[in-house]
Parts: sequence; structure tokens; C-alpha cells
Amino acid sequence: MQDELITTLSAVARDGAFRAGRGLSGLMGQEIQIHVPNVRSGTKSDACDAVGGEEANVLGAYLTISGDITGHVMLLFPVGRALECVDLMCGQPVGTSTEPDELAESAIGELGNIVGSAFINALADYANLILHPSPPTVINDMAIALVQSIYAEVLSQGGDVVMMDAIFEDHTGHTAGLLVVAPDPISLDRLRKVAA
Amino acid sequence: MTAPTPDARRISVGIGQLAITRDPSDLLVAYGLGSCIGISCYDPQTKVSGLAHILLPSSEGKRFDEREPARFADTGIDVLMTRLAESGAVARRLIVKLAGGAAVLGSANAERFKIGERNADAIKERLKRHGLSATAMDIGGAKGRTLELHPATGKTFVRTAASPANEL
Repeated sequence: MQDELITTLSAVARDGAFRAGRGLSGLMGQEIQIHVPNVRSGTKSDACDAVGGEEANVLGAYLTISGDITGHVMLLFPVGRALECVDLMCGQPVGTSTEPDELAESAIGELGNIVGSAFINALADYANLILHPSPPTVINDMAIALVQSIYAEVLSQGGDVVMMDAIFEDHTGHTAGLLVVAPDPISLDRLRKVAA
Repeated sequence: MTAPTPDARRISVGIGQLAITRDPSDLLVAYGLGSCIGISCYDPQTKVSGLAHILLPSSEGKRFDEREPARFADTGIDVLMTRLAESGAVARRLIVKLAGGAAVLGSANAERFKIGERNADAIKERLKRHGLSATAMDIGGAKGRTLELHPATGKTFVRTAASPANEL
């Protein structure tokens, strides 16, 4: 049953990552490649390798899912890459933004909103669910502290932890972002029924 | 931060893990504690040192996963104390310090589960059962922390993404 769930979530992850990547490409004005998303139980520190390692400082956005199922969505960027995104979104030369100021946080929040919502919509369409993304919370911290906090929240409810992560890459092969999605355990039962 | 010796062996203590050493060339590190709490224990006489990376406050109603012996505050602290004693530490001599328990996902989310806050309460309560209390703490707030214990000196250091290491 767990294998069927992983297969289902992999299909959702591919579609969701494709839509999210398309949203990212549109915002950034450049082609974004989608690395094959990983779907696995208990993604933690290894997911952080994509954004520079466990202790790497990242900037990103966090959303919760509500509706027929609940869960967590997080989009993380290495800080340097996040600032490049801000410059591209604002139509200014790359290198203009040098620190995560108010403008940068606002832009990253919007990016998280668009990319996170694209993924949530893919999940809703696939599983025929009504889902609502929360407004994004901008986060700027060590990557593992953020991923771990989602892991703790899911695990605190008992049951299994299934965390999906998708890595976006730009045309040069550099990481353009890391998307982490974790349904709450009670929602996994609903997803298992879809998978069956 | 006190510079580690060039040949220091940095032992990363991951989520739900714990490590014990009496080798002064080791460094025990818990990276990126968000809502998790790192517990450092040091016996100044034997130099036995331990670091645990606690994820959740209580094991009640949850499966024990032996791959993460320090996942829960209650069972994790019991295992930590047993392993420290097996390595020659004496509980009444232990210097205990805590760091972590932050709400890194934003204040709205923090109100939902309060995991960092509950972790801190559960750890203090369990330490009390072992006749222990923390001599220093850097708990709460909204930023992740890295906790490092130097067995050679017994000193502990805490750093965040935004600030350099400070001795705890």
C-alpha cells in the first residue's frame, strides 16, 4: 500500500513540479528545468544538499494546505539564488539585490505563493480534492532547521511521514529552488484511497 | 568560537540521534535546531560528553524507532542518561545545557503546535526526574540554532544563521 501511495504521489509530484516550474519560468523570464522529483518517506537532511547543505542559510516561503486534506509546502532557495530571482522578477540587473531586504522578502513570498499554489492545484486536480493554500510566510534560516520543523509537525500527529521534494534547475544546471511538500498523516489515508 | 584542533573529528548529531564520547579531539555538533532541542551533557571529572537532538516532547502513543533513539524527550533523555553512565559519567556531576526550541515557520504556525515550547517543557521535566536541571539555556525565539560541544574543555557554543558562535 505504501508503494502504491509513493507511486501516486510521484505522479502528483511530477505534474505539480512541472506546473510549479512553469510558473517559476514565467516569473523569472528564463527556462527552468525540473529535476525528477524525489518522493520518499522521511526526507530530512539529504533534501538540504540541493540548497547548499544542512547549515546553509536559505530564503524561501512556507504555506500550509487546508481543505479536504492538510499539509505543508515549502519553497527554499540558497540566499544568493533568491536574490537573483528577486532581480529577475523586478526586471533589474542580476546583482542589484545584495541582501534579503523588505523588497526581496515580498518578492520571495509572491514566488512561494505562485509555485506552492501550482503544486497544490496539481494535487487537487489529480486527487479530485478541494484544497486551499494559506498566504505565504517568508522564511530565512538554516535549511535543516526549516525542514526539520515540518518533519516534527507531521510526526507529532502520529503515523507516517511522507515528504516529497522537487529540485528545480536553471538552464545552466544550477539549483533554482527546492520544493518540499508533506501531507499530514491523517491526509495520507485520503491519498491512499486515491492511490488504491 | 574556540578554534578546534586541526585533527578534530566533527561528529554530526542528526535529528533524533545522540552521541557520547570521551575523546577530547571530538566535537559534537547538532546542526540547524529549529523546533528541535539539543541537550549537551558534560562530566568535568571524566570528560565524558553527550549530545542529544530531541525532535518531539512525548513518545506517548507513538512508535519507538530505534534508528532515532533521541526522537522523543522522555525516552531520549532516559537513553542519553543510560549511555552516559555506561561510559563512566556520574549524573550528579553533569553540566547540562539546552539550545533550540524555536518557531522558525512563523508565529501563526507556532501557535498551532507549539512544538519548540512543548519540547522545552518536556525536557526540563524529564531532566528533573533524573535529578538534573540545565545550567544554561538558549531556547525559543524564531531562529534556528547550531549547538556545539567541545569535550576537551566542556565548553558549548551556539550560533544562528545571522550570528556568530557565542559560548553558552
